[in-house]
Parts: sequence; structure tokens; C-alpha cells
Amino acid sequence: MLALLAQASDVFTKPTVDYHALAPELILVGTIIVLALVDSWKLERARPVMSAIAGLGLLAALVPVITLAVDGTDRVLLDGGYVVDSMSLVLKALFIVSAYVVVLLSINYMAEGDYWESEYYTLLICSVLGMTVMASSRDLIGIFIALELLSIPAYMLAAWRKGDERSNEAGMKYYLMGVFATGILLYGMSLAYGLGGSTNLEAIGLQLADLGSDGVPVVALALLFTIIGFGFKVSAVPFHTWAPDTYEGAPTPVTAFLAVASKAAGFVALIQVTYFCFIVRSDVIEPIFFVLSISSMTVGNLIALRQSNVIRMLAYSGIAQAGFMLAPFAVASSDPALSLQAVVTYLVIYAAMNLGAFAVIIAIARRTRSAELEDLGGLFTYMPGLAVAFTLFLASLIGIPPLGGWWAKFGVFASLIEADSGLGWTLAIVMAVNTAIAAYYYLAVARAMWFDDVPEGTDTSPVRTPATLGFAVVITLIATLLFGILPQVVNDVTDFGLVALGG
Amino acid sequence: MIAALAPLSFLAQSATGNSFDVPANVVFYIVAAFMVFAAIRVVTTDNIVHAALWLILVLSGVGLNFLLLQAEFVAITQILVYLGAIVVLFLFGIMLTRAPLGRADDLDNNMRPIGVAVGLLLTAVIAFALIRTFGNDSLTFEAYAGSQAVAGNNRTTALANEIFGPQLIPFEVLSVLLTAALIGAIVLARRD
Repeated sequence: MLALLAQASDVFTKPTVDYHALAPELILVGTIIVLALVDSWKLERARPVMSAIAGLGLLAALVPVITLAVDGTDRVLLDGGYVVDSMSLVLKALFIVSAYVVVLLSINYMAEGDYWESEYYTLLICSVLGMTVMASSRDLIGIFIALELLSIPAYMLAAWRKGDERSNEAGMKYYLMGVFATGILLYGMSLAYGLGGSTNLEAIGLQLADLGSDGVPVVALALLFTIIGFGFKVSAVPFHTWAPDTYEGAPTPVTAFLAVASKAAGFVALIQVTYFCFIVRSDVIEPIFFVLSISSMTVGNLIALRQSNVIRMLAYSGIAQAGFMLAPFAVASSDPALSLQAVVTYLVIYAAMNLGAFAVIIAIARRTRSAELEDLGGLFTYMPGLAVAFTLFLASLIGIPPLGGWWAKFGVFASLIEADSGLGWTLAIVMAVNTAIAAYYYLAVARAMWFDDVPEGTDTSPVRTPATLGFAVVITLIATLLFGILPQVVNDVTDFGLVALGG
Repeated sequence: MIAALAPLSFLAQSATGNSFDVPANVVFYIVAAFMVFAAIRVVTTDNIVHAALWLILVLSGVGLNFLLLQAEFVAITQILVYLGAIVVLFLFGIMLTRAPLGRADDLDNNMRPIGVAVGLLLTAVIAFALIRTFGNDSLTFEAYAGSQAVAGNNRTTALANEIFGPQLIPFEVLSVLLTAALIGAIVLARRD
């Protein structure tokens, strides 16, 4: 019976595994195993070395990313389901470096509070592994599993301050909204699979392109549900409601991780499904992205105006920034290479400047014990270095040259105007207005630091910032300045040419 | 009496040949009706244990649907994992914690009309889209006999080839996902 079965079935061909292409992921898996083993072997005595292991593991994972980039050949694994090309390598490097900065931010924060430190780093690396897998997946199943792997540790990390009710609420809200989004996403994916007859993005794309007019309602539903599912992840309006409470309640290094790496991973998922599949139905996706983009930037900015807590302000401004990043998707079909480059450039620069802003907030909060705007008054008089760094990051977030942010915004504007369509021009105008609104609340923070009086009872003796936090601020500051002064650097890296389907 | 049974005569017709379209359709509609009813009870019942038990009916309906599609491995996995493990875990969770076991009035809230409206709207939109696109398509249910049964019955083999072939990386990554979930759940759930 078994012999008969074996004869009858298609012959199983062992997939060829390119270990060089998978080396970054394998090193991360190895790091996870080492972290878990050291934790269970040394118990409490392991705590001081865990952050070092996590940091070294991330740096080690960066090495094969660089060797693969030097090698330069596109590696296609598993029947096109897993692709290691220049775009996925840039994104992997982005995730790994962001996570490394988050580890730097976490060291003192986690050691000083009473947290489960060892498990924290294990989960962090698990989430990063999900992101690197996401950067290469060109298959619905791969994308879904990568999304779950990066989200599930993040839900739990948001609730890591177990004694604090706000942190519990943060984790719970994030989890419930995330699971709801996952359900919608899966429904969309199942419809896309039904239409395409395959889980491979390219195969689905080719099938969608051939579909007659009868298929339009289902195509619209499939694409809408899938994009909504990722819309939660990138906190686009109207799926943003979890973000402010989660950002405020979660431990601040986790907030930085969610606001930068996790959001970037959501965008990478959107890039994969949009540029490698849905772009053939630009008639359906461009209006969806147009609405998401306009509502995100406008609503995010208008609510950010009224925030008195800097972390909440950054949460809402992050929603607005997500709107800027969604804008090139709305003109994806007119010049796929240009709009893809605009999105990835924005992601890279946004990661540098936003991580920097969070690093400074963590350093300041060590003294002020709060992130309320009024407690930042007169910061320049007793923490001049941090005040200057924070001002630079805020200026970059506004988009003032010569800081990185201007080049990111310039790229988006260029792709919108180049498209020369009604959607493109409308988005460009709305974006210009929103940039002006954003300048107001970013500058309000800077004004408080430079011109306001120091609040009563603040200890204004000079503060020593821990070396790791200082290092994180310096790395992100250098990146922000470098990308602004020499935009050619990031431009060369993110120029992928015609990678998109039918591009 | 005979006349009353006339509508059922199609059952006899379809028994000819290998096709069993009509019985499959009949079973599907019965299962579907049960599933809809049970799914409504899951969210309307006042008793959380009853909700978990109704959920068993919904999930076993999904398993039966897989069986109808001759995906027996998926069907059995569905039954084993969802009914045997997940719902039982729900029940353990409810009984081992201090959650109320009997009727609880605070399980419901006053959002019911909005929920019904959203549910109906979504059903209408999805039904319209699906019928518009797939309305004329049909599945043929064919039984295999003799040696053909062995040759044709390779869906489980195809699944295995898929998991250990093109889907190898997601499959391996899943193990990391489960480990991460386990570690995190222990940290969050333990008392310190």
C-alpha cells in the first residue's frame, strides 16, 4: 500500500538550500538558541551578559548581509517563494541595525527596572527574525508567518512592565487589535489565493491581470482586506486606535522598536504584496492607498497638535509619517521603481531619526521621570547635549535641510509629482500642508527645551548619560546627518531598478 | 407518501458513476446551517463554557467541510488540533482560573444592534462579490475506486511535498514562533 502510494505521488524533490542566502536568518536563530540555553543554564546570573549576546548576535547577522550585498547576485530559493536580492538585503540591514540600536536603548532601562531581562532579549531577536524573513518572502504563506513571528513577541513585549496597569493595557490593546487585523488579512489572502490559484505572489499577480470584469468585486475585496490587515500594522488611519495607548504604556525601548522596526516591517509586507502582485490592479489599490495616506497624515497631525506628552505626540506624528510613506503607493503604477525607492528611502531615514528621538527621550526620562512636555522646560540649561540632539532629530522629522528627513520627503514629493496624475498632485498638496502643521508641534517641543523655565523642583545638576545610550544617540545622529548631507549614499543603496512585477 | 419523496429522487440518480455531487451538496448545506446557528450562539450565549462548547460545533463543521473536499489529513488535523487541543485548553483555562462558570450578565453589552448591522452589511458585500465572480463555477465531487483510489488519493502527499519543499522556510520559522510564544506566555502568566 505504501509503495503504491509512493509510486503514485509526485516525486518529491529535495529543495536546494542556499546556506549563504539564509545565513542572516540562521545566525539569528543561533542567537535565539544561545540566549535560551544561557538563560536556562545560568538563570539569574545570566542577566548581565544577555544584552551583550543579543547585540553580538545582531552584529554577526549583519556580516552575511554585507557579504551577500558584495556578492550582488539575486538568489531565488524555494520556487520563487524566498528571494534574496538587493532590496531585501537593504531591508534586512535596516531591521538588524534598528534592533541593535533598540538593544543599546534597552540595556540600562531593563537592568534598572525589575523586568524579565533574559526573556526580553530572546523575544526581541525572535521578532527581528520574523522581520528578516518578511524582507525576503514573496509568498502569501511566508509573509503571513513572518508577520506572526514579528508580531507575537511584540504583543508580549508591550506588556513587559507587568506591575504597571498601563503596560498591561498597552499589550492587551495591541494584541486584540492585532489579532482582529490578522483575521481580516487572512480573509483577504484566502480570496487572493482563490483568485490566483497559488500562494506565490508573482503567480497571483499574473492571474489577477488576466481576470475579466466579473472578478472585479472579489479582487477589490481581496486587495482591500489584505491592505487593511497590514494597515493595522503600520497604524494607518482609521486603523490607528491602538497606537497611542500602546506606545505610551509599553516600556519606552519597546515603543521605539514598535514605532520603527515593527512599522517598517508592516511597510515591507505592503511593498511585497503591492509591488510584486497587486500592482497589476492599480485601478483597485491606488484609490485605497490614496484614502489611507490622506487620512493618516491629516488625522495624525491634527491630533498630534493637542498632545502634552512627548511619547504620545511621537505616536501620532508616527501615524502622520506613515501617511507620508503610504503616499508613493498611491502612484505605484506610473513609475514603480521611483515610488518603491521613495518608500524604502523614507523607511531608512525615518528609522534613523525616530530611533534617535526615542533614544534622547529615554536618556532625558532617566532624570525627569516623565515624558510630559512641561517637564522638558529649560532642558538646554542642564542637559545641553541631549537638547541639541533632540532638536536636530525634531528638525529632521519636520524635513528641514540638511538633515535626513528632507531627502525622505523630497523623494516622496518627487514620485508624486513625477506621476503627474490627479491622485499624485492632490497628495502632494495635502502633504505640503501637513508638513507645515507638523512643524508647529515639533517646534513646540524644541521651544520648551530652549526657552521655557526649568520647572520647580527639578534636579539640575549635570547628568551622566550611560555610554550605551550615548552611543545610540551618536549612531542615529550620524546617520540622520549623513543621509541629509550626502543623500547619494542612501540613494545608491535604494536604487533597485526595475524589480516590480511588470515594471 | 411517494409523491412527498419525489424531490429526494435526485439522491438515487447521483449514485450512478463516480460523482457524488448531490449528497455532498446536501451534507454541505446541513453542516453550513449548523455552523451558522452555532456561530451565532457562540457570541450570544451568556455562559462562557457554553460558548466554548458551541465553538466546538463550528470548528467540527469546518473539519467536515474539509472532509467533503477529500482533504482528509487537513480534516483530521482540524479536529485534533482545534477540538482536541485548543477548545479543551479554553475550557481548562476557564476552569482553572477564577473566571465565573455559570451565567454572567456582563458578557453582553449594548453594542448588539451595531454588531448585527455590521455583520449583515459585511455578509451582503462578501456574498455579492463571491456570487458575482464564482457564481457559475462548480466543483465536482468524484469518488475513486480500486487502484484509482490509491492513485487519486494523493492530497496528503501533495501537502507533505509542499511543506517540505517550497514552504520549507515558513515551516521551520514556525518552530521559532511557537518557542517565542511559549517563553513570552510563561513570563506574562507567572506570578512574581
